[in-house]
Amino acid sequence: MAPMIDVVFLLLIFFMLTLKVVAPEGDFSINMPIGAPAQVDDELQLPPIVVRLKAGANGQLSSLSINNDELGNTDLAFEQLNRRILDLIGHPGSVHSKDMEVEIDADYGLHYRYTVAAISACTGTVNADGQPVKYIEKINFAQPKSPE
Amino acid sequence: MRFHKHDPFLPEADMTPMIDVVFQLIAFFMVIINFEATQADERVKLPSSDLARPTKVKPDQELVLNIGFVRDKEGNITDPEPYVFYPGDEKIRIPDMADRLNLESQFFQKKGELAGEELTTTVIIRADADVPTGLIQELIKLCRQAKFEKFALKAKSEDPNTLR
Repeated sequence: MAPMIDVVFLLLIFFMLTLKVVAPEGDFSINMPIGAPAQVDDELQLPPIVVRLKAGANGQLSSLSINNDELGNTDLAFEQLNRRILDLIGHPGSVHSKDMEVEIDADYGLHYRYTVAAISACTGTVNADGQPVKYIEKINFAQPKSPE
Repeated sequence: MRFHKHDPFLPEADMTPMIDVVFQLIAFFMVIINFEATQADERVKLPSSDLARPTKVKPDQELVLNIGFVRDKEGNITDPEPYVFYPGDEKIRIPDMADRLNLESQFFQKKGELAGEELTTTVIIRADADVPTGLIQELIKLCRQAKFEKFALKAKSEDPNTLR
């Protein structure tokens, strides 16, 4: 009996030590087809909602705007952006939310966390039950800016 | 010389319940262990978003790029230049990624030819929260030049209250 218990304990210790606690990760998908953007229906093609993120001197967010409307540079700005997107699509899952597209236009030096926060605010929200609600799923990047 | 003296009046302990419990523990650790996380690099401190949920459908082909900074033990950035990390100590500057991406692209195309189908490879970008967005866009541009079309930006799924 004793040798078996030895081996079993070794196994147990091996699995305990190799266990790594990682925070669950999720992703935002971005489709950037090569070649001309697909113009399916010229009449139905809505202009993209432009979310502009300006960077301060050391990569901090200095201003966030949607379609040239200033929203400020605090955490509240992202909530406002979220609300503005909801206003634009009407209600989650509405017919034209499928055709809508958000273009993220960020400064070169802006820290990536703000870009992800903006993408997150455009993609949807989390409801009271903790379930994600999708707003707009088509996210695109504008032409990259050159470094200052 | 006798090493082992067996006392006939001392009953041997019943090991069965303990072995049961230990096996349960082993089974638990075996199930919970995630060997797939090996492509993730620990040096990358992902941005967080409460909307980022683990995907249920895995893309059929994926290329994971870890972009981060060289950090010391306290997590301070020691080198202002962000790198693409590869397993081991290999790290490549983002402007120098073009050749590597072309190689990766050729690899996936070969793989597709062998499988007899067109493969769509998703490039999974795991970038540090402090990397300039422009560099990520540059990397995406290089990926597109290497004929990758689908991208996924990874984020930690937790409360993003600590934005700053």
